[in-house]
Amino acid sequence: MQDQFRRLKALRPPSLPPPSPTPSGLQWQPAIPHIHAEPSQVALALPDQPDRLAQILGASAKTNQYGDHLSLHCWFGEPARFAPDLRALQLLMPDVPKEVADPEQWIFLDTETTGLAGGSGTYAFLVGIAWWEGGGLEVEQFFMRDFSEECSLLSALAERLAERRVLVTFNGKSFDWPLLETRYRMSRKIPPPTPRAHLDFLHPARNLWRLRLGSVRLSQLERHVLGWDRGADLMSDLIPRIYLDFVRGAPPERLIPVFHHNQMDLRGLAGLSSRILSLLSDAETLGQDGLELFGVSRICERRGDATRARKLYERSIASVLPMETDRAARRSLARLAKRDGDFAVACELWRNASGNSRQGYEAYEQLAIYHEHKARDPHQAREVVRQALDELRRANHTGAITPGAYREIRERFEHRLVRLERKSGRPLLDVLAAEPSGE
Amino acid sequence: MTFSESLAPRSVAALDTIQEILGTLVARYRKDAVLTAVRQIPAREAKFRPIPGWVTSALSGAYRAKGIQHLYSHQALTAELVHDGKNVVVVTPTASGKTLCYNLPVLNAVLENPDTRALYLFPTKALAQDQLAELHDLSKRLDDRFGVFTYDGDTPSDARKAIRERGHVVLTNPDMLHTGILPHHTKWMRLFENLRYIVIDELHTYRGVFGSHLANVLRRLRRVARFYGSNPQFICCSATIANPGELASQLVEQEVEVVEENGAPAGEKLFVFYNPPMVNRNLGIRRSYINESTRVAKELLARKLQTIIFANSRLHTEVLLTYLQQANPSKPGQAEPIRGYRGGYLPGERREIERGLRDGRILGVVTTTALELGIDIGSLDACVMAGYPGSIASTWQRAGRAGRRSGSSCAIFVASSAPLDQFIVQHPDYFFGSSPEHAHIQPDNLEILVNHLKCAAFELPLSPEERFGNVDLAALCEQLGEAGFIHKSGGNWHWVQEAYPADTISLRSVTSDNFVIINTTGEENGGPEAIGEVDFSSALTTVHPKAIYIHQGQQYHVERLDFDKRKAYVKRVNVDYYTDAIRYTQVRVLEIAEEQSIHGPAARAHGDVLVRSQVIGFKKIKFFTNENVGSGKLELPENEMHTTAFWLTLGHSLLVELPFTLSERQSGIFGLLYALGSMATLLLMCDRRDLGTAVGERPPSAASEINWEDFAAPRTSDITEFFEPNLYLYDAYPGGIGFSEPLYRISNLLLERTSELISACPCDNGCPSCVGPAGDRSERTKNVALAILGRLCA
Repeated sequence: MQDQFRRLKALRPPSLPPPSPTPSGLQWQPAIPHIHAEPSQVALALPDQPDRLAQILGASAKTNQYGDHLSLHCWFGEPARFAPDLRALQLLMPDVPKEVADPEQWIFLDTETTGLAGGSGTYAFLVGIAWWEGGGLEVEQFFMRDFSEECSLLSALAERLAERRVLVTFNGKSFDWPLLETRYRMSRKIPPPTPRAHLDFLHPARNLWRLRLGSVRLSQLERHVLGWDRGADLMSDLIPRIYLDFVRGAPPERLIPVFHHNQMDLRGLAGLSSRILSLLSDAETLGQDGLELFGVSRICERRGDATRARKLYERSIASVLPMETDRAARRSLARLAKRDGDFAVACELWRNASGNSRQGYEAYEQLAIYHEHKARDPHQAREVVRQALDELRRANHTGAITPGAYREIRERFEHRLVRLERKSGRPLLDVLAAEPSGE
Repeated sequence: MTFSESLAPRSVAALDTIQEILGTLVARYRKDAVLTAVRQIPAREAKFRPIPGWVTSALSGAYRAKGIQHLYSHQALTAELVHDGKNVVVVTPTASGKTLCYNLPVLNAVLENPDTRALYLFPTKALAQDQLAELHDLSKRLDDRFGVFTYDGDTPSDARKAIRERGHVVLTNPDMLHTGILPHHTKWMRLFENLRYIVIDELHTYRGVFGSHLANVLRRLRRVARFYGSNPQFICCSATIANPGELASQLVEQEVEVVEENGAPAGEKLFVFYNPPMVNRNLGIRRSYINESTRVAKELLARKLQTIIFANSRLHTEVLLTYLQQANPSKPGQAEPIRGYRGGYLPGERREIERGLRDGRILGVVTTTALELGIDIGSLDACVMAGYPGSIASTWQRAGRAGRRSGSSCAIFVASSAPLDQFIVQHPDYFFGSSPEHAHIQPDNLEILVNHLKCAAFELPLSPEERFGNVDLAALCEQLGEAGFIHKSGGNWHWVQEAYPADTISLRSVTSDNFVIINTTGEENGGPEAIGEVDFSSALTTVHPKAIYIHQGQQYHVERLDFDKRKAYVKRVNVDYYTDAIRYTQVRVLEIAEEQSIHGPAARAHGDVLVRSQVIGFKKIKFFTNENVGSGKLELPENEMHTTAFWLTLGHSLLVELPFTLSERQSGIFGLLYALGSMATLLLMCDRRDLGTAVGERPPSAASEINWEDFAAPRTSDITEFFEPNLYLYDAYPGGIGFSEPLYRISNLLLERTSELISACPCDNGCPSCVGPAGDRSERTKNVALAILGRLCA
């Protein structure tokens, strides 16, 4: 039998990337002030690795009816406690339960897992939670030293989540929370906690900063939005390996940066949620740049607050915006102005926006529609369409438009022109003769 | 079933028509040489039973509204057994109302208790879609009191949540169960907690590797169900095979009741074997069976008989389709009367063709195995099989596509010159007299089992007290632990890899890796073009660099083989030779499971072997003269696998006593092996590629250490005397898929049938239909092979 095993391909160890080295200079840095438990400077040579971990971290083993797990507390003065404004919350959540406005009910949550794909074989080995306390942020981390400690961890976590019932996460709606629900179901003993509300800041962050930053990783947002510097930090895709190595007997020191990383994520999440909510409640004074204003206006527009959205679009245009965003803002503003019947503003925007681009031709079209149907001035409408066709021809001659787009847009305008001419009573043949097709 | 040889005139007009067609077809030939069998299968009466009393009135009402007043006897029996809590496998020929067998008891349970859940497994997505329509219809008649959904790779992600919660009946396939459902079972809690029925349709398709995988997926499924406190019952449907009960109980690992009686009616049917006439008796060459199949089909279509034509490859489907469409052009404003149907067509197009066949707008359809399974296309008048489908079971299955419940139909098998085809067409009694083949699986194939054990550990931690197949689970877990896949904690083994194990394990891995043939001739006019595919195992022998690849009669020279990208670049050429790859295969016996002396003196055995093979070169062989006009060396990757084999050892005294020269004896041994391989495929109901063959010297002792140095310099000389050769038939899949032991059990039958195959072949000196092409064999190959067989069977 042994011999047979030896030949099995399925039993060959998976090809592993080289062991993840601890990034240079990345040691446990108690750079964070006010940490309750100073880590012991001398790691005691204990026979049992998990116990040594508790020693180095300054964590303590907690016991409940399901067994043991490690728990680590620390407190941070920054970010400072923040009381959210109901108006801002309403922009994130249409029917806000009243608890959400109470910062005492908030509980921030972030997990570290054994894999990124999910599924019932992925474990959350470290669950960090945080809440406002003493003017700053109290962080508690639950850690399982081995898989047998999972139920104990889940039970302790459930208790905390029952005390504060507004769950706050970053990408937790699609990752952390479903994964924890799976873990609770797998336990068959502990019912999954039921938060009253779940606020997730990934999407708002995307709206606000993706245009500027390209991506919205939490650490990046911290640096660029909050102006924080994490110092040396782990690449999060290394984390599963570090834990799985630990479980298989690697020295516990390499886990320390994981705890640190999780604390930083919680602090970042708390800081970022404060920032997002203050921006939403008072972008008018707090908005750092046009892009943030633009982001807030998009959120307002989506939630149906057109008045505020319009004001914010105007302000974002008044500040300096990158060209693409500026166009998008003007288009949205024109759309809102048109909806308000404010055609002077809309026409002005369309006129400025018209040109050789998708949006530019759309602006021509909007202008033509306005002149034809609102202002009832077919002559002016015809003039706009002719301008658009001229623009198209020029672009086609210089190769500034793809042949497909040229054909499609030209047909649209020609169709409109024919209709306008028919309305004006000119014989159709004359119209077509007067308009060289440009090819 | 009874068969009548009588061809006395019948009153049925359709039979006359078919007789007339047969007359036209063979007018030019000696009738009995071409039509080797014309059998009449009498009509069968329907056997009815009432709908059982325990069926809720709503459901029986819905069926009555569809026109179903009574059940066929097998439907009623299956429903009763399911109602009594038994696992059942029901053997159902085509068009016998099999879906009712499982829908009736399952839906009844759902209507009685709306928490009840059922999972239906179909081998393909298309079959699941087909069933969905029927279930939707029933659901509508029952005021949507139950939800039915398909769940597969095409299911949009926003619909998935609703399906998990509200699907009473979820229709899926083994692959989706394996990668999409089981690893995420917590999302399916509602289903698993209430899972009462698992339906496995087309059970007979789960044989060999696929079946061995499914057995392990079902082990995982039962394990997850147990976790949620449910213990589902299994309802299986199978086409006619020899061992449905055995296959079902191997797959579900529980006792299964077999329902074999068929109560559905059938009209009479004429079954005809057609062997294309010889054009070169010397070389054993017959008229092209593709052209002959076209002729047959044309005659049927010309008389407006709705006909289905089966080909064995995609390519032949297209060729036949082209010929038949040319002969039956579409009339202006009307739909094309002849259509193709195979994998690779879009779902919408398939549905349209199925409808067209049911309502008669389409007169003929050319297809591959795609329409062999239970897709509902109604019943047609005639079936033409271009080439032997590979097994008795699948021949009946295809023939069953033609057959009205009343009225007559016919099925015509047109043989190719492949050995199996020739054996069957020349031994009609064998075909009509034997039971269909056995389906074999090997759920405890370690390679497969270990892969699924990994998935199982991902799904739920493994407890050392669990059972997973017939292996020493504790020892296996230790091994997996050492390899770093799982870790023991709190008494249980937990998955400790970031990767997701199911993602890398394919349930159909044997044929998934194909090489694409790209024609680069005349690249200036339209660029390179893919002209075909070959599967991985034959790629090395057919599209190696410098090979002449023949495609639709056109020769192509292989310019380059991109092994990593699985592509072969070819250019059209016109040369007077073809190439034959020299494959070097070495088999080493690792462990003998059983061994026994037989006549001869000789021995038979089966056990574990190590197979090493490599294509080391090729020969250029001139057309017609079969002269060897050149050769080349190749450096292609080597393949090594541990598998199981059946083998015959020919004693030294047996060989030296034969009245033949040394080279004749050597040639005879290879010829015998060629024929044994063909016959074994037939008896095992497996694909020709599932079984490898090799000859090797019997090792002095099985346990001797493997010395690969022996293999380093393959002997290229054609004449090497074997002292005591072993003739190996090995499973061409790592770990083996369960062919070796059955072959060992039936070795007498194998030898007898092989003897019949060779002696009945009309060729002079051996041909592809018996001991292999004459060119590279001695002229007395057939005689030597028969002499050896004569001694073994004495």
